[in-house]
Amino acid sequence: MPPKKSEPSFAKTFEELEEITAWFERDDVDLEEGLKKFERGLELAKACKDLLKNVENKVEEIKKKFE
Amino acid sequence: MQTLSVSDYLALVNETLALIPSEAHLIEGEVSDYRVSQGKWVTFTLKDEEKDAVLPCFGTTFQLTLPLENGMRVQVKGYSRVYERFGKFSLNVREVEPVGEGALRKAYEMLKRKLEAEGLFDASRKRTLPRFPSRVGLITSREAAAYTDFLRIANNRFGGSVISLVPVHVQGQYAVEEILSAFAYFDALEVEVRPELIVLTRGGGSLEDLHAFNDERVARAVFGSAVPVVVGVGHERDESLADFAADVRASTPSNAAELVFPDRTQIVYELTTSTDLMESRLRQALDERSAVVSHAGHAMTVFFERLSHVVFDLATRLSRAYQECLLRMGESVVHAEQILRQVDPKRVLSRGYSLVKVGGVLIKDTSRLEIGTDVQVQLARGLFSAEVTEL
Repeated sequence: MPPKKSEPSFAKTFEELEEITAWFERDDVDLEEGLKKFERGLELAKACKDLLKNVENKVEEIKKKFE
Repeated sequence: MQTLSVSDYLALVNETLALIPSEAHLIEGEVSDYRVSQGKWVTFTLKDEEKDAVLPCFGTTFQLTLPLENGMRVQVKGYSRVYERFGKFSLNVREVEPVGEGALRKAYEMLKRKLEAEGLFDASRKRTLPRFPSRVGLITSREAAAYTDFLRIANNRFGGSVISLVPVHVQGQYAVEEILSAFAYFDALEVEVRPELIVLTRGGGSLEDLHAFNDERVARAVFGSAVPVVVGVGHERDESLADFAADVRASTPSNAAELVFPDRTQIVYELTTSTDLMESRLRQALDERSAVVSHAGHAMTVFFERLSHVVFDLATRLSRAYQECLLRMGESVVHAEQILRQVDPKRVLSRGYSLVKVGGVLIKDTSRLEIGTDVQVQLARGLFSAEVTEL
């Protein structure tokens, strides 16, 4: 059995957070939009931290066909 | 006693020679008269060093990929036969392996140069690894320390990834075939389930131990993999051809895990930095906004103060003007009263004058009077009638 795709993806979550961070690094931060983005950013950061709580990586052993 | 044709006899000889199992023997000797003709046919003579004994060898460049050199000590596997056309005995070589550290080293260097010239080690074709791998292919021996080292470091650094382990021998006669099958397995997977990268790793060892990692086919499999490959062999100083062909070269199995998996403490730090930045920028925006608001408030106050001054001033002036107006009006009234009083006929009458009217009409001259006309005479006090007797 090939491994299943893991969800949600840490990479995607972190990427979105980085985009939001980059938005905040701009000179002009609009307050209303900023508040929305800040809220989303906190959500994403929490999601990332939750995903990092996975203590271990899962090992799937692929049975050799040539055995 | 039987009479045979030459070809029949040679066929019998070859049948007999075929009884020697080719897999059962490794024939060791020194390479001499090494030749490649038409880029296809390889011939050399294998000879003993001590005794005078030579074995003519034949093969194709397709089978014998290892570059050979005269004087190199090798072990060969194959089957022998007599070529009918020339009546010449030779060993049809299927595999050749260098023997001894010196020969191995030489073979290694030659193969390295060959692959390098082909561009297998070019820095320009090296691919970068994903930052947060969710699926990792691992090709190694499950029993080896390399495996436990790799997993330990991986788990220390990051979690939640799926590691697909294809257990293989990392040395010995099955190593190359198993490693090639592992790469073929990953390459054949659908893109959605294929690992984002492959790690090929093993502990350190002698050049002989590392032969599978120095095998040309393994180096080509690493080079040709559909996803980036990290190769980590042994100790810091060990090197292999698979290392050079890899997209990322790790110095040890532990180092491979470090290169593949991001460090969670570092990530948590980055997350905190991110949210802190957002918060401070937001606070800054908020401060700027409230500064604008309070500035506006101040401006309004000043405006209203000014406005009230104006209004007050205006009101004062208005009321003053009104009063002046009233005053002036009052004065006018008094004045008018005086004037009126001065022209009041009653005041004249009081001084002894009389008013004479005929039929209510005031008489100012005698033109309207006749003898006998009745006139009314008004005095300051009282009124009487009279008759005109004289004009």
